[in-house]
Amino acid sequence: MNRFVPEPSPEPSPASSSAPPEPSQAPSPAPPEPSQAPSPAPPEPSQAPSPAPPEPSQAPSPAPRAAVGRRALRSLARGVTRVTDAALGPYQTAAVRIGFAATWLLFLLREFPHRQELYGPDGPWSWDLARQLVTDNGAFTVLMWSRSQMWFEAVYALTAAVSLLLLLGWRTRTMSVLFMVGVLSLQNHSVLMGDGGDNVLHLMSLYLVFTRCGQVWSLDARRARRARAVRAHGARAGDAAGPLLWGVLGCVLAAVTVGGRFGTAEWTVPALLWAVWLAQAVWWAAGRRERTWRLRVLLDVVGNVLHNGALLVIMAEACLVYATAGWYKIQGSRWQDGTAVYYPLHLGYFSPWPGLADLLSANGTLVLLVTYGTVLAQVAFPFTLFNRRVKNVLLAAMITEHAAIAVVLGLPFFSLAMITADAVFLPTSFLRCLGGRAARARARLLSRTAARGGRAAPPGRERADGEAGETTGTVRTRA
Amino acid sequence: MDAYDEEPNAPRGVQPPPALPEPQTSRSARPAGTHDPQAPDRPAAPHHPTAPAASTAPTAPTAPTAPAEPPRPAGLAALPLPHRIGAVAFLAVVAVAVCTHLGMVFLHVAPPNTVTARHGGAVNEWIYPEFEQNWKLFAPNPLQQDIAVQARAEVRTPDGGRHTTGWYDLSAQDGRAIRGNPLPSHTQQNELRRAWDFFVAAHDGAGRPVGLRGALAEQYLRRIVVLRLERAHAPGPGGTVERVQVRARTTNVPPPKWSREKVSTAPVLRALPWWPVPSAEAEGGVR
Repeated sequence: MNRFVPEPSPEPSPASSSAPPEPSQAPSPAPPEPSQAPSPAPPEPSQAPSPAPPEPSQAPSPAPRAAVGRRALRSLARGVTRVTDAALGPYQTAAVRIGFAATWLLFLLREFPHRQELYGPDGPWSWDLARQLVTDNGAFTVLMWSRSQMWFEAVYALTAAVSLLLLLGWRTRTMSVLFMVGVLSLQNHSVLMGDGGDNVLHLMSLYLVFTRCGQVWSLDARRARRARAVRAHGARAGDAAGPLLWGVLGCVLAAVTVGGRFGTAEWTVPALLWAVWLAQAVWWAAGRRERTWRLRVLLDVVGNVLHNGALLVIMAEACLVYATAGWYKIQGSRWQDGTAVYYPLHLGYFSPWPGLADLLSANGTLVLLVTYGTVLAQVAFPFTLFNRRVKNVLLAAMITEHAAIAVVLGLPFFSLAMITADAVFLPTSFLRCLGGRAARARARLLSRTAARGGRAAPPGRERADGEAGETTGTVRTRA
Repeated sequence: MDAYDEEPNAPRGVQPPPALPEPQTSRSARPAGTHDPQAPDRPAAPHHPTAPAASTAPTAPTAPTAPAEPPRPAGLAALPLPHRIGAVAFLAVVAVAVCTHLGMVFLHVAPPNTVTARHGGAVNEWIYPEFEQNWKLFAPNPLQQDIAVQARAEVRTPDGGRHTTGWYDLSAQDGRAIRGNPLPSHTQQNELRRAWDFFVAAHDGAGRPVGLRGALAEQYLRRIVVLRLERAHAPGPGGTVERVQVRARTTNVPPPKWSREKVSTAPVLRALPWWPVPSAEAEGGVR
């Protein structure tokens, strides 16, 4: 391919400029920054814009003050490099992508027999009721584009299909946008059908659009890997599907805009749709010519910055969920007297297994411990992020509790959504291990079916595990 | 923040399409356009940090692409100064946007306070409609009452007569559908329960509907009731539902056996007036 990098180098990985520009020649009296200190911090764009040179309040002498200033500048530069040069947490964002796509897909499949009653134009929350509310609140839903049953069925089916494609990581960015459109369309039509799980999904579908969530564990990653191999042999990697998809969606978007179908929807979502569509064109164009390599690198940086910002928002959102749930509970008398957990277990709507509920609440001390433990864990969770080990312990506890809630309170999809939100905090090593295991299991399965089907070729090394420097971008058609 | 264990050496991805158009155009690259792509403004030696990661990775990243493909320039350091300034400016914009968004969401989920008293409008403007959220999960106190929504119908029979059905306990129907069900449907778990909550919230103390939501809540509840009564074959063969009446029967959940608390478990009834059912709705209009 070598469209813009004729530099011959045996390095297969992208030029990782993770070394920040070091103003090293300055004779600094201070000990050198521990630059090799592993800083596993999440992207903190918040620290970037604070070019806080230390206050010159009452520094004793100019020399140490200058040193402190230099050090602050240097760590600022490191921070900037960190959040501009890489889309952080590739495994975490991929896990979040797969988790939410799977949650929504399974939900749609489970509700297929009830889809009409939940979101259909003649359901209890009818198209006319939905239109009145949407006109009032400006929410975005494509279901308002037509009252017909056909349109509703199409949206439902397409949303399920898009969820599957997002799960697989096919054209991840485009699918994440369509996923958002599907989630918002169905949920905004019938806001009163949802619960906390739907709320999490709603928000995360918006945030996911800004992430590069297909860097690993995706068909995009596999395609990029193959394209690289093809290019390494001097051939051209063609790609027709990407531009075609882009063109079709552009026509739809234009038709909808010209036709005034966005109607009463607030500008946020339509603007986002147009922005992504245009950005993909710019990205594609920048990658075609050698002389635009600077623009291409710049766009890459922009993509990284957006990704890292969205990743921070996703993490903060998860913390806000727990903090809100925890701090409000502290104020409740039932959470104080240690009986709170007993009550949901005995409400008709949340006790699918009354025998199990009775068993769990038979002992007052046990209920007290679970009640206090829940509050403690929820309040503490955001603070444990400062210590990896404590965080991991608490994360395991949270995931276990949500798994229990799925069964005991009959809230499987809520729990799945919450566990997925938790997954953004899982350690990379754990996720890689999980991915490796899944890949090996798949390879075994495939080779078995291949053997049974008489095919000779084993699945080879198309592992789910990602690898350094994978792209999710559309592979260009020509150089 | 040790939040998510990004390995310092974790493999990094590159170059998926960005989500927003870049304000910098290629024109700004022109001043530096005399450089060819090999120009020294790219990072010198690609700092290669993968050694420890590669040893732990079950599959070495180099496998499928062993033949040398020249690395693409990447990262801030590869860019000429004007581009770098643009990138950092963009970073600043994103950082401000992220902080603003998180601040707004925080104020939205926080209790009413001094700031929201003054700037509540701005917060709502930012949050609604798409970022609305509520995480008071079973808080401050979990619901301690079973609220059963019940309904009956006035039915016109084919021979022109009228009769009133008995009360149907719709919430009990939901409860039966949920019991022993590992995957309860939203139609069983949320639909009626939340419709009643919405109805109560959209009506004042005297039971008068408040605004648009009050009117919507009434129609919604009526449509659910009609649907459920039809499914339960309440109108009987050939019968048509002409009016429906809804009531809520609220019972305290009895306190735990090991508690000394005493709570009355006598049900409290709240009956709503009869509502006429439009004929289109009664004849299979709700599905």
